[in-house]
Amino acid sequence: MATLEIEGKVFEVDGDGFLTKPEMWNEDVAALFARFDGIAEMNDKHWAVVKLIRRTWEEKAMAPMVRILCQETGLKLREIYELFPLGPARGACRVAGLPKPDGCV
Amino acid sequence: MEKAVIDKGLKVFENGGDAKLITHLNSCVHCGLCAESCIYYKATGDDRFIPARKVEIVASVYRRYHTFAGRFLPALVKARELNEDTANEMVDLLFGACTMCGRCTMHCSIGVDIAYLVKTGRTMLSEMGMVPASLQSTVKAAVETGNNMGIPAAEFVDTLKWMEDELTDELNTKEAKIPIDVKGKKVLYTLNPREPKFFPLSISAMAKIFYAARESWTLSSRMYDITNYAYFSGNNDEARLIAKRMWDEMDQLECSTLVLAECGHGTRALRWESPNYLKKPFPFRVKTSVELIAEYIHDGKIRLDNEKFKEAVTLHDPCNLVRNGGVCMEQRYILQNFIGDFREMAPNGTDNYCCGGGGGQLAMSEYNERRMKTAGVKAEQIRRTGAKIVVSPCHNCVDQLTQINFAFKLNIQVKTMAELVADAIIL
Repeated sequence: MATLEIEGKVFEVDGDGFLTKPEMWNEDVAALFARFDGIAEMNDKHWAVVKLIRRTWEEKAMAPMVRILCQETGLKLREIYELFPLGPARGACRVAGLPKPDGCV
Repeated sequence: MEKAVIDKGLKVFENGGDAKLITHLNSCVHCGLCAESCIYYKATGDDRFIPARKVEIVASVYRRYHTFAGRFLPALVKARELNEDTANEMVDLLFGACTMCGRCTMHCSIGVDIAYLVKTGRTMLSEMGMVPASLQSTVKAAVETGNNMGIPAAEFVDTLKWMEDELTDELNTKEAKIPIDVKGKKVLYTLNPREPKFFPLSISAMAKIFYAARESWTLSSRMYDITNYAYFSGNNDEARLIAKRMWDEMDQLECSTLVLAECGHGTRALRWESPNYLKKPFPFRVKTSVELIAEYIHDGKIRLDNEKFKEAVTLHDPCNLVRNGGVCMEQRYILQNFIGDFREMAPNGTDNYCCGGGGGQLAMSEYNERRMKTAGVKAEQIRRTGAKIVVSPCHNCVDQLTQINFAFKLNIQVKTMAELVADAIIL
């Protein structure tokens, strides 16, 4: 079990830095994880993406398709990649406190 | 560790193994030339990671059970019993410290197929139920849902429709389609599930290329996943099952050419391994999208704007496509056609360094720290080219390169070949 320390707070994470206990997530955690990824301040667009990912995961136990992210938030694909430099999986899903998605991500 | 579990692992050497296996297991002369070829050794200096040591752990187990000296005087010939300690060390070295990139195999002074022996070791561990959990979960998703990210078919189709709408808008023509499940087309195209799930721009990019070349093509909603993570977990039964689904889908849709998306290991597993898994020759043609794009350019079916990209571009060669797959000049032919400032990495082509994400590493959280350490080798290679764009015809490499970009602050753009080509296409 790895741990990740951000600004004095310690989190249990997997080797890729995803929360091992997704239920430990809250908005403060999201903001801290985002800062760790170089997102100094989460703006409304960041929050819209992260909250939608979180809600979908809580309902369906999986991350939403990026199509849903775009269509429900009104953001363009390229905007999402710019908002989260590590991409929707390693970036946004991690900030939303999800376990790491399977596959080549 | 229970004897039944150990016996399952040892079954891989049943009847003493086949001629190829025995030859490679008994041939290492411990010259050490492989050391510098390996990104794990290069990045860490830890001699446990020298490829010969990975060969040795598999070979020492073989000797213990299948040679006279190993059976009666194991200590004399450094033969090792397969027990919990040995198995755990095998997991750490063969899963946790190898991308199966095969560079050591190329550098071996006597031609030992080291990557094949690592794969054999992985098969033993797979038989024993010791595949790292995160890798096994990716295989499980593919076996159970038909794609390695568990994407429901309806959501897949919705994404394709969405990309088709975006494409027809962009090109201002209803002719630029993304056909799904259409029978009797020439080409069945494949995808890596990360495209529909998170990075669909490469799908519309390829659709744009197909449109420009007036290709007859379709995607399948049932079986589109080019990946085969069972190739990395070492489970040959699961690898066969996944490969067979693609063969069956070619038959169902009556297509004549299977075109492989930009995926190194998927190309390896489908093009080079699947006839072995299924024990019969291909009844259809197989081609990578990189070869197909090169052909389109050569035959004048598409034209590219050589003014489009002014910045320096470099190419990352995916190990399983290039060193282990034989597709080496096609990507250079494409780039030289429209990139003014194309810079090679050193080394490149069949001698290129792995990005560090191969062999299932990207899927295995367990070894993340080590993976990002080995990534330093690639980061340095990229930095030296001074390129602003890195193109790589492999989604797995693209993801690792994206992380490398972030972790090593390279300030580059990472693109698939289809994305780069589609941006420059003249319609």
